[in-house]
Amino acid sequence: MGSSFKVNYKEDMALFQNLWVKTWLVILILLMIILPFFLNRYQLSILNEMGIATIGALGLNLLIGYTGQISLGHGAFVAIGAYTSGLLTGKLGIPFIISLPLSGLMAALLGLIVGIPSLRLKGLYLALGTLAFGFVIEYILFHWDLTQGDLGMAVKRISLGQFQIKTQKQYFYLIAAFAFLAVLCAKNLVRSKIGRSFIAIRDRDIAAEAMGISLAKYKIMAFGLSSFYAGIAGCLAAHYNRWIVPGSFDISLSIAYIAMIIMGGLGTVLGSVLGAILITGIPHAIVYIVDLLKDTYPALSGFIVDFKLGIFGIIIVGTLLFEPAGLYGIYRRTKVYWKTWPFKY
Amino acid sequence: MKKITIILSLSLAMAICLWGSGTWAEDVRGVTNNEVKLACLVDFSGPGKYAGPPLALGAETYIKYVNDQGGVHGRKINLIVEDNGIIPPTTLAAAKKVIFKDEIFAIGFNLGSSGSSAIIPLCEENKVVMMPHGANKRFYNPGNKWVFVPYSTQFNMGSRAVEFILEQDPKARIGIIYQDDDYGIDGLNGARAAAEFMKIKLVEEAPYKIGTIDMSPQMRMMKEANVDWILAWTYLPQTGGIMKEKVGMNWDVKVIGANTTAYRQIFPILGDLAEGYMAVTPYVPWEDTPQRTQDILQKYGVLEKVGTSPFPAPMFFGAWTYFAAMVEGLKQAGPNLTPETFVKGLEKVTNLDVGGMCPNVTFTPKRHVGYFSSLVVKADAKNQRFHTISPIKDPKTPQD
Repeated sequence: MGSSFKVNYKEDMALFQNLWVKTWLVILILLMIILPFFLNRYQLSILNEMGIATIGALGLNLLIGYTGQISLGHGAFVAIGAYTSGLLTGKLGIPFIISLPLSGLMAALLGLIVGIPSLRLKGLYLALGTLAFGFVIEYILFHWDLTQGDLGMAVKRISLGQFQIKTQKQYFYLIAAFAFLAVLCAKNLVRSKIGRSFIAIRDRDIAAEAMGISLAKYKIMAFGLSSFYAGIAGCLAAHYNRWIVPGSFDISLSIAYIAMIIMGGLGTVLGSVLGAILITGIPHAIVYIVDLLKDTYPALSGFIVDFKLGIFGIIIVGTLLFEPAGLYGIYRRTKVYWKTWPFKY
Repeated sequence: MKKITIILSLSLAMAICLWGSGTWAEDVRGVTNNEVKLACLVDFSGPGKYAGPPLALGAETYIKYVNDQGGVHGRKINLIVEDNGIIPPTTLAAAKKVIFKDEIFAIGFNLGSSGSSAIIPLCEENKVVMMPHGANKRFYNPGNKWVFVPYSTQFNMGSRAVEFILEQDPKARIGIIYQDDDYGIDGLNGARAAAEFMKIKLVEEAPYKIGTIDMSPQMRMMKEANVDWILAWTYLPQTGGIMKEKVGMNWDVKVIGANTTAYRQIFPILGDLAEGYMAVTPYVPWEDTPQRTQDILQKYGVLEKVGTSPFPAPMFFGAWTYFAAMVEGLKQAGPNLTPETFVKGLEKVTNLDVGGMCPNVTFTPKRHVGYFSSLVVKADAKNQRFHTISPIKDPKTPQD
């Protein structure tokens, strides 16, 4: 069931390669549907954060992991999506269903513009360029009257016609659906001509150009797509949290997204999901541990709170040292182990 | 056809899920017959971590004191102190944790203006009264049913500073150096309002970006404008920069700052350079704590813990007074405690004496800010302490 020979292109390019994958997919969907009935609001709120982070991480992985273009400004695109939707729904009264794609498109448009320097810049220089873009956006959000400074602005609830999304459970279904759709689109994209062009550019751009792949077109497209994902993530985050402040989208958000895709696995869709779950989950796991220990070992829990960021860093460094391919590497090894079991190779 | 069936099935499943998950039980979260849970969100791990321990100590000491008196209406207070990391994303995570997981009744203290803003919708949705520290005029004007500020805002203190200067020197030429964010701009707006009210103009306004330490460009601007008083709406490092530049320029200009700098930490940082520095603050100097409050501090071992260290007393007093206001609200709400009765109870708090460390607190249904008044203190570098040079007073400038 797990292994099969692919005898034609259609089979090789299939989104879901075999019955095994399809079965797991159905199980996953069923699990997602029943999960909220067993979780409390706090646990659901963590899953909601993970879902939004997954969408943003997928976008960044398309850019860094698949196309090899470094960006330190992903947080800025998330901010553009958040503020675009916040302003469209709040000031102009545009419904969420329209503001959602528009916020993605606005981020994508600016992403296309930021992508232009990528034709001449590489590596650290490109990283610096995108970092500067992030600072420009942050400055604008802080100082533009429309965005209301560093105390931020209120954002409306998500309304679908007369129906308003209010509870964590409702948000869970909505965000999970978008995260699922984002994964599906990313998986679909990377197996297409566009995705293969991205990979060719990442592996050796000169060779890719020699093979007829337009570097300009695909690099800019990668920036646009990545920013579109970020914009959608920003829009969902804005309506989920119902308040946006520039401080939520600073350089630390961009770094968190980079950590997600590196820890999850660069150049893999599953890696983006796993990385988003891990990086979003670590602070919450620390909270749970502190709560467990605070009555019995108050000093230890105090130490954990004091060195929260240090613990976060140690986990990241440890993972990179012992599993450079990220969580996807662990997943792949485990999969191979069971596939070949009881043989070692 | 197969694809359409799958899409329709998924859409139907999602619609059922969304439809069927409308409400949850509306019991009073965080309240039982013998306990009420309150949260105190302070920073133990972020940029404001220096403030965390004294704030937590202030809150815990006051709550111990209240519980030892028998609590409120027979209910002991269960205080949950949580790290909010001061910045918006971590504050939001901390607020979700205390509301959803710990199921607290109200947030008695939350450190950080932008973080406080970020959690307002969450508090509204869950009917949680929240008291933000790092207050800004936007928290009470236009105001929010669930937000109470037992504090004086930067706007109030900016006005008070200008009025104090003009009391000393009616012909003063005043310039302002301010942080280019809502904290600094709120102080600037208060100063501008007072200047307009007193029919003068601020001679020079020099902003700086958060994190800037080198204050020489701003000080040159002040010098060129020939000011004789500088309002410094800054934090400690920038105040240090201003005072050092002042000495470096051999310039005898008077400097008066915000409450965020009226800490004894200024003495180890500046040494003798701190001499004569003034600040507007709602809190009396640590050494002037009224005897009745000192007795409580003695009883709960606070004086022992603090010893002779340069303790950030305004932080300690801050959390203390916030919880004093919250406890008074619980008393006024009566035994039938719900979020609605609690809001009404808080709105009945009138002229509450919170231990003599700051102005008395009054809330009304139309005014959720505790007071507008503040005092002016002056640094005594030799004895490493502040002295009050102008008592608690309301600004004359209209504040609403």
